[in-house]
Amino acid sequence: MAKIRLFTTSILFFLSFFLFSQERQHVGNLMDIAIKAKIKKFKENTNFDKAQMFFRQGIWDSTLVYSMKEMSNTKNKELTDYCHYFRGISFKEKKLFNESKKEFNEISNNFQFFYKVKIKLGEIALGQNEFENALQYFEEIEKLPNVSNYDLKKSNVLHNIGLCYLHLKKFDKAEEYLFKSTKLQETEKDTLMLIGSYMDIATLYYEQYKDNQAIPYFEKAYHLSKKAKSFELRRTATKNMAVVEENRKNFPLALAYRKEYEKWKDSLNDQNKVWAIADLEKKFAVKQKQKEVNILEAENKVKAAERNGLLFSSVLLLILFGTGVYFYRQKIKNNKIILAQKNELDELNATKDKLFSIVSHDLRSSVNALKISNTKLIENLETKNFDELDVLLHNNSTIANGAYNLLDNLLNWALLQTKQTYFFQESLHLATIVQHVEYNYKPLMLNKNINYENRVSKTDYVFADLDSLKIIIRNLLDNAIKFSKENGTISIYTRTSSDDFCYLVIEDTGLGMSASTQEELLKETVLLSKKKNDDAIGTGLGMQLCKSLIHKNGGKLEIESEENVGTKIIIVLQKFKDHG
Amino acid sequence: MDNINVLIIEDTPAESDALVKVLTANNYNIVGIATNYNEALKLFYQNPIDIAIVDVFLDGRPDGITFAETINIVPNGLKPFVFLTSSKDRQIFERAKLTKPFSFLLKPFNELEILYALEMAVEKFYGQTNVFVSEEQDTVISDDYLFIKKNKALKKVRIEDIVYIEVEDRYCNIITEAEKFVILISLTKILQFLDPDKFCQTHRNYIVNSSKIEEIIVNDNLVVLKGNHKITLSDKYKDFVKKFRILR
Repeated sequence: MAKIRLFTTSILFFLSFFLFSQERQHVGNLMDIAIKAKIKKFKENTNFDKAQMFFRQGIWDSTLVYSMKEMSNTKNKELTDYCHYFRGISFKEKKLFNESKKEFNEISNNFQFFYKVKIKLGEIALGQNEFENALQYFEEIEKLPNVSNYDLKKSNVLHNIGLCYLHLKKFDKAEEYLFKSTKLQETEKDTLMLIGSYMDIATLYYEQYKDNQAIPYFEKAYHLSKKAKSFELRRTATKNMAVVEENRKNFPLALAYRKEYEKWKDSLNDQNKVWAIADLEKKFAVKQKQKEVNILEAENKVKAAERNGLLFSSVLLLILFGTGVYFYRQKIKNNKIILAQKNELDELNATKDKLFSIVSHDLRSSVNALKISNTKLIENLETKNFDELDVLLHNNSTIANGAYNLLDNLLNWALLQTKQTYFFQESLHLATIVQHVEYNYKPLMLNKNINYENRVSKTDYVFADLDSLKIIIRNLLDNAIKFSKENGTISIYTRTSSDDFCYLVIEDTGLGMSASTQEELLKETVLLSKKKNDDAIGTGLGMQLCKSLIHKNGGKLEIESEENVGTKIIIVLQKFKDHG
Repeated sequence: MDNINVLIIEDTPAESDALVKVLTANNYNIVGIATNYNEALKLFYQNPIDIAIVDVFLDGRPDGITFAETINIVPNGLKPFVFLTSSKDRQIFERAKLTKPFSFLLKPFNELEILYALEMAVEKFYGQTNVFVSEEQDTVISDDYLFIKKNKALKKVRIEDIVYIEVEDRYCNIITEAEKFVILISLTKILQFLDPDKFCQTHRNYIVNSSKIEEIIVNDNLVVLKGNHKITLSDKYKDFVKKFRILR
């Protein structure tokens, strides 16, 4: 039981020792030189440069990172081989043996240091207790001709072979190789290796129960280890001695060794503890830093959120303000429109009221005149004064006509305002329409002894609504008669027309009107104007109606007038295009 | 030359009396005065009518329009209508307009206006507008009649009665078996509206009613018509002879 334990410890010890030696080995050797050469050759590959730098400094994680970067960037076989090598070593150092093995297997056979790869693979196999495999690798190396040319220690290889045989219980071979390696190491004066070798030889004998041969080697190893700096080495050597003494039943000595072993173990532990504490402190510091960083990050986030919130709310406020202003302005505009409309409506209402008063006044006076006339009529009938009767009846007829015209205009005006009339523009023979209208006024003109002329062109066709055209001509002719003196002249004629319009002129030699009156009449207004000579004239409704109707027919009204000379009213009407 | 037959549909006696007075004075023939819808239909179908004057409102209902609509349903039964109305109510007009063609007269109206309205109704109905007011033409041609404006009124002549037409400048001499008169119409216009199966041109100046031909003497370039009218047949128009079946 104790022996087995010793055996395992020795192996464990040896492995760690072994690795240590390899790490030290590649500093300042052939490989180093080769790597430097490669850096010069591949200057631009910074990742490779960094990888090798970290590799040489033994910073394995960084090596892994940069070698990976380099591999993803380059297609160069040599460089990838190097990178795989770096990665293999790094993984191995980090005790990730399977990963390491994979990396090593990736390396091509042409690799300059392929034998090193073999050694590493062998070492890994040894570490994983695959002794047969390990042995294969090592023997391949051993068989290499002229080992000194290569950058490796033959003693190590021999030692490892011996170790393999030892584990495979082939003690003869183990003994042979171990001695070979020990001899080499003695010449090389490699104390650390030598201690390991002595211990292994001792273990070899001990395994074979050749205690007498084993013990001197143990002792040798122990004595040598006292000179060595490695606690671990001393510890193992001491422990071995303790076990040996225990087995020899030399308990006091064994106890002494044990104590010494414990001491080394403690010091090792202390060292480990120091390391651990340092590590902990470092971790703590890192954590602290991380916390600070987290806090700062959180603060930043809060600030960003605050800023965003501020920005968002300000934008929102701006939009709100904008819409507020927009609606306020809209409201003001609406109010203005409403106010304008109200004023207009007020004006219109006032006009309507005025119209009412004028119309009713005119009608009242007409009816009153009829009443008076009728009274006279009755009186004259009683006195059988027939001459007077005739005059009075004609007078009545005139009054009735006037009243009728007024009412007719009123009706048409109302219909026009409410847009209830049927309005249909068509081709109309202007001369015929004028004849139709003048027919009703002929007796009136004859009565007033007015000289009437109709010189309307028989070839003019206008595009208008028949009834509105009749209303227009009727009103204008009525006005012309009204403003004419006895023996005056009224003439209706067409002026030379343009392509689009026909000019119908109604000319009289009557009162005429001032420029201001003309302006008043032509004004684009719905207001009715009361004219100067009240007794002769009505409401101005007729003129207004004419204007509206001409406008509706797509025409224009023009006035040429001179006071006490006469008036020319010109109606501009659309021509009917299909007929010249 | 015959007078125009007019049917008056009017429920107010004063109005119809005025109408009758004006129309008879202008040599129109009043075939009847209907005062309601049923009477109107009866009179319309019993008498030969050229124009109907229809008051839109009969007893306060727009029966005048209903009457026109009823007539409108029967194809070819329609005659020229003049609608009388005292208001330009749009709804009524929109309805009346459906009986096309449509002419109307707003009350009150004078003599000239009613005569004009009748002329317009004929013009519009036969699709020959601006005829009677123009100075180039005074005749509207329908399938059966020539409507001729004589003085202020219209007259009509049965197209069947025409023996031949002699064209003289802007005028046409119409020769019927009974009489002879002049109308104002161009040759091209009259040819455009006359039935080419019934009338053929035999000369630059002559249009002949083929049913009135009694003899064609090709050698003498003569066409002898009823009433012993002898018309020249020019070489240019001799082809018309081919239209007749020649007995050999």
